[in-house]
Amino acid sequence: MPPSSPDLLSRVNVDVERSLLRARNGLRYLRGTHRPQLGVTPKDVVWQRDKAQLWRYRRETPARYAQPVVFVTSLVSRSYILDLLPGSSSVEFLRDQGFDVFMVDWGIPDELDATNSFETYVDEYLPRAIDAVLRATGADGVTLVGYCLGGVLALLYSAGHDARVRNLVLLATPMDMSAMGPMVAALHEGRMEPDQLLDESGNVPAELLYSGFFMMAPTTAVAQNATLLQNLWNDEFVTGFQAVGQWTRDQVPFPGAAFRQVVHDFIRRNVLMLGRWRLGGREVDFTATDAAVLNVMAKGDRVVPGAASRPVADLVGRPERREELVVPGGHATFGTGRSAFKHTLPSLAAWIGAHSDTTFDTEERHGDQAHRVG
Amino acid sequence: MMAAGTPLWLDLVLRAERVVGSRVEGAVHSDTYFDLVTEMNRAKRFLTGTVEGISKRIWHTANLPAGTDVRRVREQLARMERRIVELSKELDAQRETLETER
Repeated sequence: MPPSSPDLLSRVNVDVERSLLRARNGLRYLRGTHRPQLGVTPKDVVWQRDKAQLWRYRRETPARYAQPVVFVTSLVSRSYILDLLPGSSSVEFLRDQGFDVFMVDWGIPDELDATNSFETYVDEYLPRAIDAVLRATGADGVTLVGYCLGGVLALLYSAGHDARVRNLVLLATPMDMSAMGPMVAALHEGRMEPDQLLDESGNVPAELLYSGFFMMAPTTAVAQNATLLQNLWNDEFVTGFQAVGQWTRDQVPFPGAAFRQVVHDFIRRNVLMLGRWRLGGREVDFTATDAAVLNVMAKGDRVVPGAASRPVADLVGRPERREELVVPGGHATFGTGRSAFKHTLPSLAAWIGAHSDTTFDTEERHGDQAHRVG
Repeated sequence: MMAAGTPLWLDLVLRAERVVGSRVEGAVHSDTYFDLVTEMNRAKRFLTGTVEGISKRIWHTANLPAGTDVRRVREQLARMERRIVELSKELDAQRETLETER
């Protein structure tokens, strides 16, 4: 049935309006103006060593949960994926759910950081950062949330130290490197040697890492840009597109010493699958952590496929304290996208909340103790 | 199947991208591709090394530093800076130990 005149008129109006908005947003996009500000949730630096920093996100009300949540991010990408945009930020979401949220940010490595190894991050930075969290909050333990390679750091710290980690949440954490596919194929034995990929700073250059990610799906940029063109009238879509695009291109150099460990031990010997690793002259047994462990995998993750992170559930923590969660979306679903705020983050918040004390419980316990002492 | 609200032109682009994209991905994720990249990398390093060797001799003839010399100096500086950072960390640790003992 042909549309009636008022219907037709309203459609024409919508089309004209959208065309004008497309033209305006298209010009802004091409000029590079109106780029969104990323990682802007108000925060304070509460600890710093070399380039590593610990941020605490400001709260207006006291936290509902006694154990603060500490994010540990990867060594190759920027931490602002977890605090992308106001209203679309994982740290903001968890903060609003009543958690005291912290983030360990590794900074951007240069020549000075070329000798940073896993020992530097796990034995030097993380223990001090966690001490700073406990000092700042007075808490008796933390929920450590490791993302991607940050998950490996979090698990090594949790298992390798007498750590006060109440809960260990591992998001898209690679464990079985033989299941990582094309992401690491160029670094298999007999192919490229890690030293061949280092630049004069002694680190793997950020551009090289980006080209590695780009080659995972080289033609998707076409589909993404076509979708952008269709949605160019929508300010929210354009802002989200620019934010994710910026994060994807914004890789950081990988410290040379840590990269050698990844290639020789993780990729070529697949040592993480043994459930233990020799770190700083001692053997770290992944079952040595007392924390409740949640292994979170994204169904559509092409960077760390489910097969690579599933073994976490068999190797990390005590068997009776292991749980697994599969969420929709891809590798970035922990920081962005509709499913992040509809499924992933609510599930995460619910699990962490259920495994934490409320500040009411803690106050009550302290009250009881004071009563007993009195 | 075309998603509701997706215009025909976009649907065609997305389908075409997947047809071409899956083939491209198949090629760039193959062992042959990674072997090729490895060989190209080796060839590039050999070529760079040869060119650097020649240009270094030319610059040195004129008693000027070559790029490789500058790189070596930067590496030495970075090593020194790292050593200074390590020493200051050791000093801090000793100071903390002394303060704790007092």
